[in-house]
Amino acid sequence: MAKDLSRYAGRRRKNWIILSLSMFATAIGLFFLGAIMFALLTEGIAAIRPSLFTEMTPAPGSDGGLLNAIYGSAVMTVFGTVVGTPIGILVGTYIAEYSRGNKLGQAIQFINDVLLSAPSIIVGLFVYELLVVPMGHFSAWAGGTTLAILVIPVVTRTTVDMLALVPNALREAAAALGTPKWRITVSVCYRAARQGMLTGIMLAVARISGETAPLLFTVLSNQFWSMDMNRPIANLPVVISNFALSPYPDWQRLAWGGALLITVAILCLNIAARTLASFGSAKQ
Amino acid sequence: MPTNSSSAALTGTPTPAPAALAGTPSVAEPALAGNPVEKIQIKDLRFYYKKFEALKTINLSLADKKVTAFIGPSGCGKSTLLRILNRMYALYPEQRAEGQVLVDGVNILDPKVDLNLLRAKIGMVFQKPTPFPMSIFDNIAFGINLYEDLPRAELEDRVEQALRKAALWTEVKDKLKQSGLGLSGGQQQRLCIARAIAVKPEILLLDEPCSALDPISTQKIEELISELKTDYCIVIVTHSMQQAARSSDYTAFMYLGELIEFNDTETVFTNPQNKRTEDYITGRFG
Repeated sequence: MAKDLSRYAGRRRKNWIILSLSMFATAIGLFFLGAIMFALLTEGIAAIRPSLFTEMTPAPGSDGGLLNAIYGSAVMTVFGTVVGTPIGILVGTYIAEYSRGNKLGQAIQFINDVLLSAPSIIVGLFVYELLVVPMGHFSAWAGGTTLAILVIPVVTRTTVDMLALVPNALREAAAALGTPKWRITVSVCYRAARQGMLTGIMLAVARISGETAPLLFTVLSNQFWSMDMNRPIANLPVVISNFALSPYPDWQRLAWGGALLITVAILCLNIAARTLASFGSAKQ
Repeated sequence: MPTNSSSAALTGTPTPAPAALAGTPSVAEPALAGNPVEKIQIKDLRFYYKKFEALKTINLSLADKKVTAFIGPSGCGKSTLLRILNRMYALYPEQRAEGQVLVDGVNILDPKVDLNLLRAKIGMVFQKPTPFPMSIFDNIAFGINLYEDLPRAELEDRVEQALRKAALWTEVKDKLKQSGLGLSGGQQQRLCIARAIAVKPEILLLDEPCSALDPISTQKIEELISELKTDYCIVIVTHSMQQAARSSDYTAFMYLGELIEFNDTETVFTNPQNKRTEDYITGRFG
């Protein structure tokens, strides 16, 4: 029987066109990613030397490193992640496991999505009004709080999405054993969604590691070594921004070094987290 | 549906649905052939998904240490009925049951019944295997640990017993630490059965346990069912009439939310009292 192949040929043509467009789009994305990495590496590698990790940010014209900024960034990122992640996971858990699509859950999810796409500078302004003005000065606490607020919507969103992927049959199977609801969520749903939830946390860390604008309103920066959370503290994004915009070549070089450092740190963190997660889940 | 059915229930007279059951023998008070112990008694049970009446006045008794099969075409309410027996429907607020389900004389539809304790007493295995994302050992230990605090050696012993009972021990004894998700479909289903019996239930509900399995796995599960019935009251929902005929002692035929016929399996399959039962088991519809 002779089949009319013209429809099939049309489908094949469409497939070819869409496939080509997708590959083209991927190529564009990869090109820019590669170009950024290339620029970072060629410019930044020169700044990577021991003094980068042992000395403080210098005055223009003198040698120095980024130790105070690395410390400040690390402390605030850890604070932001440690405070923001549990809140985000709990909110996500409420929406996905407990609200069952009621009005409150929908409202929270909507507001969370708004917060997710809100410009970070607005969060910075909010914390400025909330903490910096009453305290009378910039502080690392304020900076860490800002980052925590930025972590929450990212973690909430991925938690909701990942828990939604856990098949309901798994919840029913756990319930059928007489498992209390909280135990089903913690022991079964979190386990099943672990990889995705971890990716969400990593995304959040990556996002806050590079935030500059909100930190200008909350921690400012500090030229010197400080461990006082109640005072302004140096941090990589603001230092990079200041140094990169400066006319001094040694500052610009340090800025490149700092940018490379953040990128590599996030890369390493991602790899480490993924390795840990795959260790945790038994071999398949 | 007559609105005065509750008064009818109180006086002990069954309420047949007018048109559907007209001219058919009453199935409201089926006496179990052979007089076994009645583990579960279902009385005037109606069930609603929101407004939709999925079960219409079911009356049925299920025997202890026997296998009862629910058969019927898709959408007849057999899975719905099964999911009432451990109140699985209570996970979904829009679902509602009326009437009585007595397990050892206690009405489990009473809101005061503790659902977790109830489900620890009534195990369930689902259509699709549902191993938890954890090791084979932990899959079994999970349920045990919910209600018992055992020393490690005793826990290992219980896990082994459960796996042996589910005819899975020899296949997995060297890889207890591996993920339960790595097993084949049939093995996963036996793992789920092992998990259910590890918590020492008295009743085992099987919701089409073999429909996702190949014939060899199906045969293993059926052998398992016939071994397990010496200890448990087993209720199985199945689409396979051969399976019902092979592995059950009693068979309930359901159609459009009603219990059409209930009797010992041999009678249902060789001498059905109702025309629709006969049509269904001979493959004329469904």
